[in-house]
Amino acid sequence: MPLRANLSVLDNIALIPQYRHNLDYETASGQAWNLLLLSGVESAALKRDPQLDHVERFTAKLLRAAIEQPPIILIDRPALLLPDTHYPRFLRGMLERLSDHLNDCWILDYRWNAPLYHPHPPSPAPR
Amino acid sequence: MTNFLTRRGAALLAMLRVWRATLSLTGEVVVAALSPAVYNSATRTVVMKQIYFTAVQILVPFTLFAAILSFVLIQIVVGTAAKYGLSEYALEMVVRLLVLEVLPLVTALFVALRSGSAINTEVALMRINNELEALEDSGVDTLRLEFMPRVIGGMLSVLSLTAITSVLALVLAYLAVYGLQPWSLPDFTRVMGQVFGGGILAGLGAKALVFGLAVTVIPVAEGLATPKMMFMAPISVLRGMVRLFFVLMFIEVASLAFKYI
Repeated sequence: MPLRANLSVLDNIALIPQYRHNLDYETASGQAWNLLLLSGVESAALKRDPQLDHVERFTAKLLRAAIEQPPIILIDRPALLLPDTHYPRFLRGMLERLSDHLNDCWILDYRWNAPLYHPHPPSPAPR
Repeated sequence: MTNFLTRRGAALLAMLRVWRATLSLTGEVVVAALSPAVYNSATRTVVMKQIYFTAVQILVPFTLFAAILSFVLIQIVVGTAAKYGLSEYALEMVVRLLVLEVLPLVTALFVALRSGSAINTEVALMRINNELEALEDSGVDTLRLEFMPRVIGGMLSVLSLTAITSVLALVLAYLAVYGLQPWSLPDFTRVMGQVFGGGILAGLGAKALVFGLAVTVIPVAEGLATPKMMFMAPISVLRGMVRLFFVLMFIEVASLAFKYI
């Protein structure tokens, strides 16, 4: 689902605990800010949807899903959300950074993209 | 002939369905807006942002426009009244024309063009992209989090912008009729007392609120009635804006008839 266009990234993420648990704005935005710091996109905190690049928008949506620590997060065809990005490496790094806040995360992608997710074999030692 | 009647009948039924949905949505939104339990932390945040984007953000440009419009109309009325020897009625005519009729209608049309069309487009796209169903499937009350904040924002926007521009028009009218001096304030106050009886003030407030309700509920209802095809989004906005225009005009004519006939 798209972000709310008239709220900043920080407000979009904080809105979930505000709605689900009636947390006050300061507490909810504090939680959202911690996640933004962890993910490394805190510079996007006050931006709204039209000002975001693909990586910032994807991260905002991922954090919005992660803030409630659901049992599973499903990332459906990440290439659609992250064009012009080497997304397997980006996803691996992002999921590692957020590992304390994620229970289980599944990535759904086309079979022919499977090799992208395998780490590169070590390059042969120079002779 | 049968085909023609069938088509006309189907169109009439479709129109009646949209009107019924609009009235039903109006009732639901008004009840929700008056229920304190609905206002949790998230709803308050969304309502405040909506008020900011619908009312505060446009305050300066719209107030400047209203000041220019008021100034021109005041000059026309005061000049014409002086020409026909009716200067003593000029102030009352200005107030009745501007504050009671023109400014509330112009404000509602402005908010309709700026926010109503955007709301219609947003809701139509949310419906076409199945976002409303997705929100409801994840347990989010769309009335509380999506529609009610927009309606409250629109109502407060029309009400507050009408009040601000009306006060500005009264100041400009005083300056145009009496000049830049304080000695005529008692005369001015007496005329204001004659024009703004309790019933007239209540009617003005009610009209601004109904305008505000119309400029948000009609676009939301039209957006919700959009068939799930992308090319229907602009058609939905077109229909919504046409219906909104006729409803605003109907409210204005009804208000005039109630006051003067």
